[in-house]
Amino acid sequence: MATYDSDKAADIHEHLHSHLPSDPALRVKALESLVIEKGLVASQTIDAWVEAYAEQIGPKRGARVVARAWLDPAFRARLLDDAAEAIKDFGFEGSATGHLKALENTTDTHNMVVCTLCSCYPFSILGMSPAWYKSSAYRARAVREPRQVLAEFGVELGDGVAVKVWDSTAELRYIIIPERPAGTEGWDEDALAAIVTRNSMIGTDRTLTAQGV
Amino acid sequence: MDGMHDLGGKQGFGPVDVKNGDVPFHHDWERRMWGMARAGLLSNLTIDWFRHGLERIAPANYLSYRYFDKWCVNYMMIYLDNAQASMDEVLSGHAQTPADPAPAKTLAEVIEAGKGGHVKFEVPIDALPSRAVGDTVLTQRIMPVNHTRLPAYARNARGTIIAHHGSHALPDAGALGMQVGEHLYTVSFAGTELWGAEADPRDTVMLELWESYFV
Repeated sequence: MATYDSDKAADIHEHLHSHLPSDPALRVKALESLVIEKGLVASQTIDAWVEAYAEQIGPKRGARVVARAWLDPAFRARLLDDAAEAIKDFGFEGSATGHLKALENTTDTHNMVVCTLCSCYPFSILGMSPAWYKSSAYRARAVREPRQVLAEFGVELGDGVAVKVWDSTAELRYIIIPERPAGTEGWDEDALAAIVTRNSMIGTDRTLTAQGV
Repeated sequence: MDGMHDLGGKQGFGPVDVKNGDVPFHHDWERRMWGMARAGLLSNLTIDWFRHGLERIAPANYLSYRYFDKWCVNYMMIYLDNAQASMDEVLSGHAQTPADPAPAKTLAEVIEAGKGGHVKFEVPIDALPSRAVGDTVLTQRIMPVNHTRLPAYARNARGTIIAHHGSHALPDAGALGMQVGEHLYTVSFAGTELWGAEADPRDTVMLELWESYFV
């Protein structure tokens, strides 16, 4: 049972810092062997989770959701109304999607998502976040100078475009529905999903193209 | 708390490493840590206590530890705090008395189990919401010394409520092991309210804030 004693937590962290090897690979190895020996998890189960997030649980899920929203106005309406429910159509519900919200980019609005206090992210729909999303630079700057950050990602905004930054520090999580590019008329869901980038669903990419990336 | 984790608006970090930072993991140990985290190895604690544990990593270490290194030491801290493991066990990576091995799960089983992470944080309360969509709110200037989710950059700031989400578990209480429901809102702040003339007047920042975060 946790003690919920804040200062005790700080003291333990200090002790660990002084006594653990500095190489994080060795630290994680120690933790892994300990939890296996304690009977908390099997090594093969950790392998399975690693594989799940390498292959199946990732941004391809979000891209599929976006593609369907482009094709099916009724689904789009349900997604905007309650994304946490709508993604159950695909069986994509899971870690950090219990309060998922979908945001629409439009010709005059660009959305981008950050978590300045840790690195909250809708894992079950977008997979593990890219390293930059967890970086101090992105967390510090996205709320203060979003346009400069977007420029570093190569995003160009027209004069009339407002930037909305969503700092997802509570339990709501966000997925952005980018605008469907021209030249994709008549495409099916598979073809559309293939051109939806992960960054466009976080908000650090804006203009998708029929050629993909 | 006004910890090093509260990074919003801090300056001097330089450009975002767009190119090298594109991948979720740079090292195999990061994948292993993520795999362990997904396996649900923590019990009898709140998500807020986990986050607060990360916040109690000393400031210099908070900035220098890689993301999954922070998770690793926080798992260790929690096992030690829970008295689930001794310091000797944590440092050696070996259990004093090995337990029966846990059953192995297949890929299909973990993908199905992952759906269990679709958790709701609503905590119903009798009190009606004191604010409505369209209201202007002023945030608190002083926040508790413990865990809180009102970032420093959005304190003593005026914003407009754009959504109400019902009553959600208050993180400040969660980090103390208590479940307290409070109404939660999305508040829109003009960039100029937060950053002055430096901000583009077209831009806004949205935050989910609990009722006690308002004056």
